[in-house]
Amino acid sequence: MYWPVRLASILAAVGGCFLLDALARGVDDYARRLIVLAGIWVILSVSLNLINGITGQFSIGHAAFWQVGAYTAGYLSVTFHGKWGIDGLPWMILMMALGALMAAVAGLIVGLPSLRLRGDYLAIVTLGFGEIIRIVVQNQKPLGEAYGMNVQPKFQTVWLVWLMAIVCIAVCRNLLRTAHGLPFLAVREDEVAAGAMGVNVTQVKVTAFLIGSAFAGVAGALLAHYEGFISPQMFKMEQSFIILTMVVLGGTGSITGATIAAVALFYLPERLRDAPPVTGAALLGGLIGTIVAVVLVKRTVDRFHGPKIGAATRYIGSVVAGIVLSLALGAGFGMIPKLASQSFEAEKLRMVIFAGVLIILMLIRPQGILGTNEFSLDWVKSLLRKRKAVEA
Amino acid sequence: MDLTHSLLGAVDFGLLPQQVVNGILLGSIYALIALGYTMVYGVLRLINFAHGEVFMLGAYVSLFVAWGLGFGPGPVSPDQTSNWVNLVIMLVASMGVCAAVGMFIEFFAYRPMRNQPRIASLITAIGVSLLLQYAGALFLPNSPPVPIREEVNPYRANVLDVPLKPKSADLLAQTKQAQVALDEAERTLKDTVAAEGIKSEFDLSPEGKKVRDARNAARTKATVTQNAYDQSGLSLRIPYGQLIMFLTSIGLMLILRHVVMNTAPGRAMRAVSLDYDSASLMGVNVGRIITLTFAIGSALAGAGAMMNATFLGTPLTTFFGMQPGVKAFVAAVLGGIGNIPGAVLGGLLMGIAETLVVWVGYGDYKDAIAFVILILVLLFRPGGLLGSAKVEKV
Repeated sequence: MYWPVRLASILAAVGGCFLLDALARGVDDYARRLIVLAGIWVILSVSLNLINGITGQFSIGHAAFWQVGAYTAGYLSVTFHGKWGIDGLPWMILMMALGALMAAVAGLIVGLPSLRLRGDYLAIVTLGFGEIIRIVVQNQKPLGEAYGMNVQPKFQTVWLVWLMAIVCIAVCRNLLRTAHGLPFLAVREDEVAAGAMGVNVTQVKVTAFLIGSAFAGVAGALLAHYEGFISPQMFKMEQSFIILTMVVLGGTGSITGATIAAVALFYLPERLRDAPPVTGAALLGGLIGTIVAVVLVKRTVDRFHGPKIGAATRYIGSVVAGIVLSLALGAGFGMIPKLASQSFEAEKLRMVIFAGVLIILMLIRPQGILGTNEFSLDWVKSLLRKRKAVEA
Repeated sequence: MDLTHSLLGAVDFGLLPQQVVNGILLGSIYALIALGYTMVYGVLRLINFAHGEVFMLGAYVSLFVAWGLGFGPGPVSPDQTSNWVNLVIMLVASMGVCAAVGMFIEFFAYRPMRNQPRIASLITAIGVSLLLQYAGALFLPNSPPVPIREEVNPYRANVLDVPLKPKSADLLAQTKQAQVALDEAERTLKDTVAAEGIKSEFDLSPEGKKVRDARNAARTKATVTQNAYDQSGLSLRIPYGQLIMFLTSIGLMLILRHVVMNTAPGRAMRAVSLDYDSASLMGVNVGRIITLTFAIGSALAGAGAMMNATFLGTPLTTFFGMQPGVKAFVAAVLGGIGNIPGAVLGGLLMGIAETLVVWVGYGDYKDAIAFVILILVLLFRPGGLLGSAKVEKV
């Protein structure tokens, strides 16, 4: 039963991508762009999850690998396209491969010092590498300096992006099911113990950086050829933090979590772009409501030890209380003319929301929403079984 | 500029002493911020990512105090004068508010994370940092970036001039000679103009034009010799403001040293950084010491922010703290994180490194140098210059 199932799932994945492509033809350009970018963010988030969540190497410079991939593919396309006699899809595949290669080289350069560093030091070094790459790129004339560069030819397909996202997910998932993948988890859980058990810790860390950054490079090549324009502004430090938020929110180590969080955290703030401006009253009300909800949830997390149903009721109750309080306070503060007249563009709240999500999540559920769980039939079954056991 | 620029192409070595001095002055600010990082890391083993944002808030406090003192964003009346009292008010306000903000952040964001893995606190720190940057951008004057008015600094016109090499006496004589010749030529020209009975030197006869050309040549020579004379000596030019900045930083560091080495809370602080659990068993109120550490570190950042914004005149945005924060962190690592003299040394070296990079002609890469240094330090001497690398035990 192994090969039929495997073959069927591959066919389903590829077919799904083309189906999505066909569906995306029906929507307008803006919506199609969102679908493509969501796919790119999924690749970024899942590949960072391999480094951060699965191998436990805390890297916060992922946007740099993305940038390396984008600029490699962009520069090569501008310079060499049409000279080697290939075009269209083969060219795009070549560009993705070269982007991935260059990004992997960058990942290797970052991965090597990481052998000697752990935790917070590694975080700073990856941050530093990211900044160095950005500063060097924005001072190169052939790469358009700080202004950026146009990328020709464009290659705008939905299916390729999502196919690469699925490949990325599949590589990470299948890696963990093999003897090559288990050492990654072992290194995350305890580096010293893993080493004592015969795991080649060095090799595992470098491999994680290589694979993770190569996929970020693919995402870069896809972005460069979809947008047709890249600039250093698109790969700033805050992009790294956004990717990190996605990984952390979904659950460090959970591929499903990283995927869902990437789509959600990309799509929801994107809606804020067309949202009407928020009044000062609503903002203040929302702030107080959020704080109250967080405090209530935190109390339940810390002090409630009853059955799961009771905890879930309390969580829902806390969130509902927070929302009701926000709305009520928002309306109440609306009576104060000074607060009601102030308005803030919703767009500017984007990063505030990311930062708030990070802090709140760390306060109430540091392991992320899914923890290290993956979504699968077995997981759902085991959840149901536990519930029955509790009820019995 | 690209990387192929020859390394020492356009470097004037006569400027080296001035650059080093500039570097030390700038480095004193980095040292002040680095102290906050290093102290917090010492007691909590936490990189306080939000430290740079505390620095940013300190600069805004100084800005608002300066506005309150009458140096507002609008036109300033000419009779409005400043004195040192204004600067002290700004400094104290900035330090006080920063200390409060530091304690607030510690209490609400880091204290609940005390029992979580360190990475969780680190992510919280990143979150707090982003929150302050972007939430600050909603409320604080941000675009266009606002500088603190230079009028608030009463010493802005004073410059300390330290001669290193006296100016050439030879050139002085030549300059005087050229000046005499120029005066002579001017007089001749005036006489010629008067003799020809015309109003201006532009309607001269051919002979008169020759006189004018001679005057022009003499003027050029006078200017050239004057410039050569001016540049012949070597002197350090230090604006008073930056001197005050440096001396205040040194003063604050000495006070800090006294507090840490000679007082009871300082001893407790050292005990906590040496061994957290044992210190708490020995009756140290660890929670209070951590709060105190955050307060002191943030107050130093506030002082640095006030002086940076006032004396260096950097315009403020809510991202104002990011670069200095990162550089100061690198300074702390360079000196050996958790080590107070190390932070000062690292800060000064960082400042010098940065000015030297600009001096060599790689100004575009000035923000990258910090990370290059960081990576080199971590690769070759992970414990920093004054620290010692600890072997992790199981």
